[in-house]
Amino acid sequence: MATTTITKTEKLVGKRIRRREDPRLITGTATYVDDIKMPGMLYAAILRSPHAAAKIRSIDISKAKALKGVHAVFVGEDTKNAGAVPCGASLPGLRVPHHNLLAIDRVYLVGHPVAVVVATDRYVARDGAELIEVDYEPEAAVADPEKALAPGAHAVHPQWADNVAFTFHQEGGDVAKAFAEADVIVKQRIVSQRLIPNSMETRGVVADWHAADRSMNLFTSTQAPHLVRSLVAQILGLEENRFRVVAPEVGGGFGAKIQTYAEEILLAWISMKLQKPVKWIESRRENFLCTIHGRGHVDFYEIAAKRDGTITGIKLKIIQDLGAYFTVLTPAIPTLSVLMMPGLYRTPNIQADIVGAFTNCTPTDAYRGAGRPEATHGIERMVDMVAAELKMDPAEIRLKNFVRNEEFPFPTATGLVYDSGDYSAPLKKAMEMAGYDQLRKEQVEARKQGKLMGIGLCAYGEICAFGPSPATPAGGWESATVKIEPSGQVTVLTGISPHGQGEETTFAQITGDELGVGIDDVLVLHGDTSLVPYGIGTFGSRSTAVGGTALYYALQDLKAKVKKFGAMLLESEDVTLANGQCTDNKTGKSVGFKEIAAAAYRAMKLPPNTEPGLLATHFWEPPNFTFPFGAHLVVTDVDRDTGNVSIRRYIAIDDCGNILNPLIVDGQVHGGVAQGIGQALWEQAVYDDNGQLVTGEFMDYTMPRAHMMPWIESGHTVTPTPVNPLGVKGVGEAGTIGASPAVVNSVVDALSPLGVKHLDMPLTPEKLWKLISAGSNA
Amino acid sequence: MKISGSYFLPLPPEQAYQRLQDPAVLAGAMPGCESLEKIGEDEYRMKMKMAMASLSGNFDGKVRITQQNPPNSFKLMVEGSGKIGFMKGEGDLNFTPKDAGTDVSYEGDVQVGGTIAAVGQRLIDGTAKMMIKRFFDKVAA
Repeated sequence: MATTTITKTEKLVGKRIRRREDPRLITGTATYVDDIKMPGMLYAAILRSPHAAAKIRSIDISKAKALKGVHAVFVGEDTKNAGAVPCGASLPGLRVPHHNLLAIDRVYLVGHPVAVVVATDRYVARDGAELIEVDYEPEAAVADPEKALAPGAHAVHPQWADNVAFTFHQEGGDVAKAFAEADVIVKQRIVSQRLIPNSMETRGVVADWHAADRSMNLFTSTQAPHLVRSLVAQILGLEENRFRVVAPEVGGGFGAKIQTYAEEILLAWISMKLQKPVKWIESRRENFLCTIHGRGHVDFYEIAAKRDGTITGIKLKIIQDLGAYFTVLTPAIPTLSVLMMPGLYRTPNIQADIVGAFTNCTPTDAYRGAGRPEATHGIERMVDMVAAELKMDPAEIRLKNFVRNEEFPFPTATGLVYDSGDYSAPLKKAMEMAGYDQLRKEQVEARKQGKLMGIGLCAYGEICAFGPSPATPAGGWESATVKIEPSGQVTVLTGISPHGQGEETTFAQITGDELGVGIDDVLVLHGDTSLVPYGIGTFGSRSTAVGGTALYYALQDLKAKVKKFGAMLLESEDVTLANGQCTDNKTGKSVGFKEIAAAAYRAMKLPPNTEPGLLATHFWEPPNFTFPFGAHLVVTDVDRDTGNVSIRRYIAIDDCGNILNPLIVDGQVHGGVAQGIGQALWEQAVYDDNGQLVTGEFMDYTMPRAHMMPWIESGHTVTPTPVNPLGVKGVGEAGTIGASPAVVNSVVDALSPLGVKHLDMPLTPEKLWKLISAGSNA
Repeated sequence: MKISGSYFLPLPPEQAYQRLQDPAVLAGAMPGCESLEKIGEDEYRMKMKMAMASLSGNFDGKVRITQQNPPNSFKLMVEGSGKIGFMKGEGDLNFTPKDAGTDVSYEGDVQVGGTIAAVGQRLIDGTAKMMIKRFFDKVAA
């Protein structure tokens, strides 16, 4: 297959090219962390607390230690000087609990790691963990953020009696005036429930310490290998240049693998202690409890509007359920909701307050969309409620309040600058595809027959391409290195760490087009800190918009150098690089890409002021975020007898700027929509009053499955961003952000004849059936 | 989780009351009970095997009887923990003469934690009712 296409004339960017990473995935030959085996490797199993809050009176590890095959047992006392799980977010006055690797004298949540057993195989390790006897003194727990903030609630951390981790205030414009002069004020409490990210591959770590050269190899299922390296090396006091982190094949992350987790530090520490490679693979039950959760908002909205539908002000109070501890971004997530709170609307007056509440639950952190789905859900529900109050069509109120095309770049009341947009275009396109007016007529008829049919709209915006470094906790730039090998094949090293987003394909497309080589001559490598100079990673829909731009600029540097060698070989001063060759613009003579590459390495002769070799590295710092947008339109039918929601039509029009590969963009939208519908209709992490997670497996936590998905009719409008030369905005989270409000608005519309104005997610058949039953009796 | 119900025992209240405090009867009647050993006044150490959904495991626990008011009522407290989690429950038992026997009504609260709570919550209600019924069936036999 690997042949150099000398005369390549077709552009790769913009084509539906199948993903080059798929053959290894669908043939089961990809290497995940659990596929890594090393001679003498030991296995770790972690004993976790069954209590949400308890003092530890004593731990007896003698039976576990005596078990044949057990090499070591460690408890909190052993690891207390090994460091703490890091939090990268900072806010004024933030209370950061010390997050020990293993609990020392108390546990703060169910699943809290208490001890680790290291044995010859994973079964012995698990058996050993079960032989540990822990004497707990259980205490009352608090699992609900509103209850946690009530006076007299159990203090999650005894030193902070009010359970408040931080408060945050932001305002813009004159919100008091807007509300004083409003014709109508609509208020609503809106919940974005706790969700469990559930990537297909759970987490896993292999740590391999070599004392002789003080080097560490850490294989971990992560979205941000360089970040893990910097943090874990620093925590353990190791040299960063001798610390290698590899993210092998990663089976999904959705934000839950951006963090640096206790197990990554712990396994490295154990490997050093025992001088052996050690593996830990998270079980699915552990994944439910011990990998971060998402969302967990209780929002209080107030919207001020004029009678004509002009939205003049937004007040928002967010209670964020933080869980018991912070992972790397926990407290920062709700601040993204504040940035996004005006949605696509012009409203100059906003006021936002966040209260971050500790609970005896799993920490919340970034989950697909991270703060923006909550904000979009809120504003899009509120706009519908204002429309209902004013008896306006939900499309009309949106069109009236959108930022106008001539207003870009548009400074928002929350301090952002929206880059580019034509916000009404996707909405109008969705309505046209749906036959909106006809649907409304059909709805009138359906209602006459007592049928519950709903039409829901959502016009979403989002913040992508994270981001300008001053606005991010760990730097927001990205790096790319491009190497043309002596054979003419091209190797790309990227600092992003894709795990399903398809950049091995899209980056090969960009490279192929820029250098004029075939896609099979390009190899994209990532996820290994010993290979890639440095990188930030994959999250926040940043990979293509930031990492792809770094690649684009590295390619420009390299193109210039290739042209110098081409000009030298052609003895010309005016050459063009295209279609796999360098051509003298005067004589029309050309030299092939392969020959140029060979000449650059053979170095018999060099162009003036030029080094041998063909390699370029570029670090690109984005000047702004990008702001994709779109509109989703959902038609639902609610069954009166069962409360079941069927999605008759799902139309997703997304504007993510230029599209490099429509197949991959569709895939991102489909996956995102599945997760958004999951939140809207089924998913929910439920804790009981004692802090026990009662939805701890797939029998109780409803993950969307293929047969539950509607047919998604996708479409696009294209508004390139001026922020980067590729004009791409990002699409990783779009589907999730657009879906939940569109579905909920549709169901609320369906039930509006029963007097329903708002419903909190998930809209399970049980919830709707109860409501319909009560409503039809009333 | 709240639990309540009643069961008819074909014994007069005095006998019903006594039978429900007899360690031999309790050990024989409690589903999965492997041993019940007296460790103090109205206090017993219990070993039991519990199976629910895909889980099964051994529990070590304690049974305590308090607030004795023969033959009208007493309070039963059970707690246990094992590899699959823990359970804690307490309930009031009331004895009312009915026909030629006794109506035993119970009302209590059961709390579970750990793996049983995470994966078995939806079955706890049914399992608890089934276990209570089996218990009384054996007490009555």
